[in-house]
Amino acid sequence: MKKFLSLILCVLLICGIATAAFAEETKIVFCVNIQPQLPLEFWQSIADRYMAANPDVKVEIIGNPSSNVTLPQYEKDLLATDQFPDIMVMQNPADFVPSGALLAFDDGDLDYLADPEVGKIGGKQYVANYKKQIIGVFYNKDMFAANGIEVPTTYQALIDACDKLLEAGIQPVSLGLKDGWPQGQLANMFAGTDLLAKDTHWGAKRNADEVKFNNPDLVKAMQKYQTICTKYCGDNITGITYTQMLEQFFNGNAAMLPIGSWVNAEVEKGLQDFEVGWFPIPGDEDANVVSVFVNEGLSIGANTKYPEVCKDFIHFFFTDKELYGEFLHSEQLFSTTKDTVEYEMIPLRKDMEEQIASMTEVEGFESMTGDDAFLPGLKDYFTNKMTQNIAIGADVEAELDAFDAEWEISNEAIEDAA
Amino acid sequence: MKHNKLHDFLLVFPGYLIYTVFMIVPLGMTMFYSFTNWDGISKKFKMIGFKNFVRLFSDAQFYNALKVTLIITVITVLIYNVLGVFLAVALNRKNRVCAFTKSAVFVPTVLSSVVVAFIWSYIMQTDGGVINTLLALVGIAPVNFYKTPLDTIVMISVIISWNGLGLFLVIYVATLNTIPPELMEAAEVDGANGFQRFFRITLPLMMPGITINSILSIAGGLKQYDHVKVITGGGPGGATQTITLMSVEKAFEYNRRGYSSAIILVLFVLIVIVSVVQLSITKRREVKY
Repeated sequence: MKKFLSLILCVLLICGIATAAFAEETKIVFCVNIQPQLPLEFWQSIADRYMAANPDVKVEIIGNPSSNVTLPQYEKDLLATDQFPDIMVMQNPADFVPSGALLAFDDGDLDYLADPEVGKIGGKQYVANYKKQIIGVFYNKDMFAANGIEVPTTYQALIDACDKLLEAGIQPVSLGLKDGWPQGQLANMFAGTDLLAKDTHWGAKRNADEVKFNNPDLVKAMQKYQTICTKYCGDNITGITYTQMLEQFFNGNAAMLPIGSWVNAEVEKGLQDFEVGWFPIPGDEDANVVSVFVNEGLSIGANTKYPEVCKDFIHFFFTDKELYGEFLHSEQLFSTTKDTVEYEMIPLRKDMEEQIASMTEVEGFESMTGDDAFLPGLKDYFTNKMTQNIAIGADVEAELDAFDAEWEISNEAIEDAA
Repeated sequence: MKHNKLHDFLLVFPGYLIYTVFMIVPLGMTMFYSFTNWDGISKKFKMIGFKNFVRLFSDAQFYNALKVTLIITVITVLIYNVLGVFLAVALNRKNRVCAFTKSAVFVPTVLSSVVVAFIWSYIMQTDGGVINTLLALVGIAPVNFYKTPLDTIVMISVIISWNGLGLFLVIYVATLNTIPPELMEAAEVDGANGFQRFFRITLPLMMPGITINSILSIAGGLKQYDHVKVITGGGPGGATQTITLMSVEKAFEYNRRGYSSAIILVLFVLIVIVSVVQLSITKRREVKY
């Protein structure tokens, strides 16, 4: 009898082990964008909260292993090696959609977003856009007041203000080329004011080869950008990093910092001994256009085994107001959901919101989304090549011609692939 | 002892296997992809013949990258070999100062190139860097080491050389130690002065070391990636971009893996040609005794 009982116990034990071993665990991999303001711990806390609410799902967090590898590069590596995640932070879906790597959301999946239409590619939505950021000019209010400078509302007033600051021995603008991307923000601002404000879907026309980069509006925008870079950013623009730009401005060594609203996170630290203000880059007649980045959000891999779980996870991210509020607070971001999400805003952030309420919003030139988005590679060309060359005095029209030539190559690659 | 072919084969097989998997196969794949339009992420691609090579040879960015790579190669090869030989001869004495100096020159070699590049980035930083802070203390205006692309390339070349000189020095010192002291003594007895002894005896007998170091330094210069990536990322505007940096950029930022493979294949051929030519020249100058 004992032998029989032992045998039954053994069989039960083996069956139990086998069931546990073969039972498929619902596991999703979430590739995140690790930054100083959004460290791994933050993303892990999202996963933990979701797993607590859904005990049968395991969420594994992965992120780009080094700051030398950008998130899109890392995601391309994962895709090329069949390790593409189930959910990921997506910055440039236009690079991934042609290869069929992303799952399109169904109509109604993103009803909780204020504008689920933004950034559609070929009529389909691949990204749940989770933040809106604006770009403009942070300025030292005390320095402006001490030199009798009003907030400029035209391009000429901006140049006059720069000249006045130069005369007073102050570096007007803090900008650096060494990291490759920060200078692109100023170029984006001028392109937004002089080009995209006239035609918000200019990008789609460029993609259809109906217009060229070398056109009078963009030439004018880039010439303005070149004037600021070559005359008002000091002698060391080529050797200045993003961190040094921030140091120059917040230490009171430069009067203006043309950059994105994410710098509010630095303003919030309160390390500066002056009051910080903000204004949009002015156009020829007025200052009524603001460039907005809506190019980042959450996407689902086309080959995920659990598309519904992934959609539920994304829904959870946006609708857990405490969690989403924490995310928005990290960089004093603008919400993209229908429902208002409250978080502790600094006065400057509130001021920005009030200022842009009456302005025309255009997408950041380099990060236009959906059918307006640059063809693969052109965003990098714009930031790492063209805007850098123009900043050190290259011929604007020649640079725009080269940009058009680069477009031809990129387009040819897409046509070859098709 | 009886020669056993199977035994020999089994001994070399793991080595051949590793070499095949990690060298021959990737090289073959690079050659294959260089004739395709693969974007690096899609499952599909097309054979496009020599299109990537035709485009490459009409690409101004490639010629600029080639120029930058060659400048870095020339500067580093000169520093490694001229300064390396000079230091080896000067330090080939048995005393504490020479031993310490050799160790000091060798220490950077054990540091990661990325670490070295970061350290020097902070040292050469325009605003608040170590050098400029020291200059400011003595009332000298800050130096912008990144003022022109050429300044930057020269600065990077010097940093690369600082990082790698120790290895070349060790090889030269080892080569010097193979020269029989009797030859020097005989030359001294015959009345040869220091210069004559160096140019007529030391240098010709160091030729095997020069051959190895030249090949290593030329190949290293042509393959330069990490220091430039950390210090400038190839900027501004691609002005300091090397061939390898351009290849990685095209592959991972522009989704042009086929084109990137063509770049690497051209670099491979360039390294092979330069190495063969250089080897044939230096081998001819080696002397036997």
